[in-house]
Amino acid sequence: MRGVIGMFRELDATIEAISALKERPIGEFTVYTPTPRHEIEHAIDAAPSAVRRFTLIGGLAGVTFGYWIAIWISDYWPLVVGGKPIASWVPYTIFGFEVMVLIGSLATVAGLFANARIPKITMTVGYDRRFSHGDFGIWVEPSPDRIQEAEQLLRKAGAVEVRVER
Amino acid sequence: MATLVKPKPVTDVELLRRPNLPAADVRLPAVRDYEQVDDEITGTLHPTVAWFIGLGIAIFFLLIGALAWTYQIYSGLGVAGYNPPVMWGVYIVTFVFWVGIGHAGTLISAILYLFRAGFRTTIYRCAEAMTVFAVMTAGLFPILHLGRPWKFFWLIPYPNWRYLWPQMKSPLVWDVFAILTYLTVSTTFLYIGLIPDIAVLRDRETNPIRKRIFGMLSLGWRNTDREWRHFVRAYLFLAAFSTPLVLSVHSVVSFDFAMSLVPGWHTTIFPPYFVAGAIYSGIGMVFTIIIPLRKYFGLKHYVTINDLDAAAKLALFTSLVVGVAYMNEWFVGWYSGSPAEKQFWANRLWGPWWWASAILYTCNMVLPLSLFSQHLRRNTTWLWILSIFINIGMWFERFIIVEPALSHEFEPWQWATYHPTWVDYSILAGSFGWFSMWFLLFIKQLPVVAISEVKEIVKPRLRVRHMRGVDVTGHHLPFEQDTPGEYD
Repeated sequence: MRGVIGMFRELDATIEAISALKERPIGEFTVYTPTPRHEIEHAIDAAPSAVRRFTLIGGLAGVTFGYWIAIWISDYWPLVVGGKPIASWVPYTIFGFEVMVLIGSLATVAGLFANARIPKITMTVGYDRRFSHGDFGIWVEPSPDRIQEAEQLLRKAGAVEVRVER
Repeated sequence: MATLVKPKPVTDVELLRRPNLPAADVRLPAVRDYEQVDDEITGTLHPTVAWFIGLGIAIFFLLIGALAWTYQIYSGLGVAGYNPPVMWGVYIVTFVFWVGIGHAGTLISAILYLFRAGFRTTIYRCAEAMTVFAVMTAGLFPILHLGRPWKFFWLIPYPNWRYLWPQMKSPLVWDVFAILTYLTVSTTFLYIGLIPDIAVLRDRETNPIRKRIFGMLSLGWRNTDREWRHFVRAYLFLAAFSTPLVLSVHSVVSFDFAMSLVPGWHTTIFPPYFVAGAIYSGIGMVFTIIIPLRKYFGLKHYVTINDLDAAAKLALFTSLVVGVAYMNEWFVGWYSGSPAEKQFWANRLWGPWWWASAILYTCNMVLPLSLFSQHLRRNTTWLWILSIFINIGMWFERFIIVEPALSHEFEPWQWATYHPTWVDYSILAGSFGWFSMWFLLFIKQLPVVAISEVKEIVKPRLRVRHMRGVDVTGHHLPFEQDTPGEYD
């Protein structure tokens, strides 16, 4: 993988570079930011996160399992108390709710991992430790004949440092 | 003729001194940029002599508790002051106390996140860590209450062939599900929030071993737009799950009492009363911890007086809720017409337990009224002293719920008394040692203030200054004016 990395000190310079890359698609790009910024999110205009589907499926699976396990345990070896029904949905709502929260939360984390592509074993190219400190960055992966164009675009937008990495 | 005096421009420092200022405009005026956030917050991670002394004291108390427990295992549970029919004592009281402490963490991190309460940003990490360690501490007490603690897995309600089939209609079984879910979700919430901050530590670390450990714990986080996009969404959903969980867990803990027929326990007000009390006690513990931390870590310009003021208002509100619940209990006790209820209340208010009631009502109903004073809400010394009273008051609340009820049930043969022994007190002290030890270890390994979230409320560096309410792309902001990061 070969690409161009540009480092920006200012947020608006980063936004300008993103807008330019959207207008003139040179290649796939990744933006680095020390903290989530709504301006960057608007400029990139990415599709909504798919994590919500994991949450929904996990929550539904959890509530189903929570009710089922309580009913199954009660039916398998009935402990009759005070003439009450063996499987009673009112108290079993507690199990349904708690297990929904448990499985739903863990599924949300699984959704985060799957969509954000973490854990990452290696740091690969196109990362600089300054991106977690205070600087913004853009990593562009152009075709070999457009590398120079990408460098120029990033510099023009206000990148303080531009370099080619592979 | 009157002279026209031109008003002086108001500086950030003057604004800070003014009470009730709109919080966001001067959220963190003393923080210039992202680099300062990293430098100052990671600067708190170096161990100091005072920290070692604190850790030593915590371990000392932990050892006292461990020795008392060892003695209890050797001699039997009788040394813990149980006097039939009072078979629940200090251990269940302290269990509920620590579960309650654990509630403010998720309240602050999840509920206030959903409500976009700005004051949570700088205190939530501390509260979340407190939650996890408090629930870990609470989890010890069912085991401490066992004569043969090595058989603790018999408590876990799963289908088995040991003639211990789980009764799914028992509140104690609900409790296991609720507490384990709460521990898992709050730990997950804490860890997910920590990932970007651990990446900051990884990138700053020079020691190769620690760098590798941070590298693994940060899961290779690189601060990309893709990671942040899914992270923000996942965090929101975790907060949305945690919010009803906070309300459910202490409601379920209250069912341990309310589902029984014991006078003083069998009441429908227990769930909201327990939840409000838990939030109140948790905020008290947050004050106990965060006020010294902000002072000794030099973080007063992060955890500002405005943040403490806002949290104090929350403490005042919850104290009023529990106050109303106490008065409602008195009324229902009298209005029920039940002799058992009336005797319970007479015992509690004027009988042998009057002293515990006096401590409870003073700490939880009277002293917090001082928070109506803006001056006292912004006085950190008073807030800290009050937080100690809140902790004491909330422990006694649980004591006064458990002991008078168990020691005076319906029949005269069920009337007894209860006196905690040195074993109870030692294990209580040991629980504080255990909690403090984990917390002290945490604050020197991982940032106690959330770095990436604080950066969100710090103005980003810009080439061009923009009007308030207009973002750097020139669009009008689609949300409220107090969103941090704006320029005048």
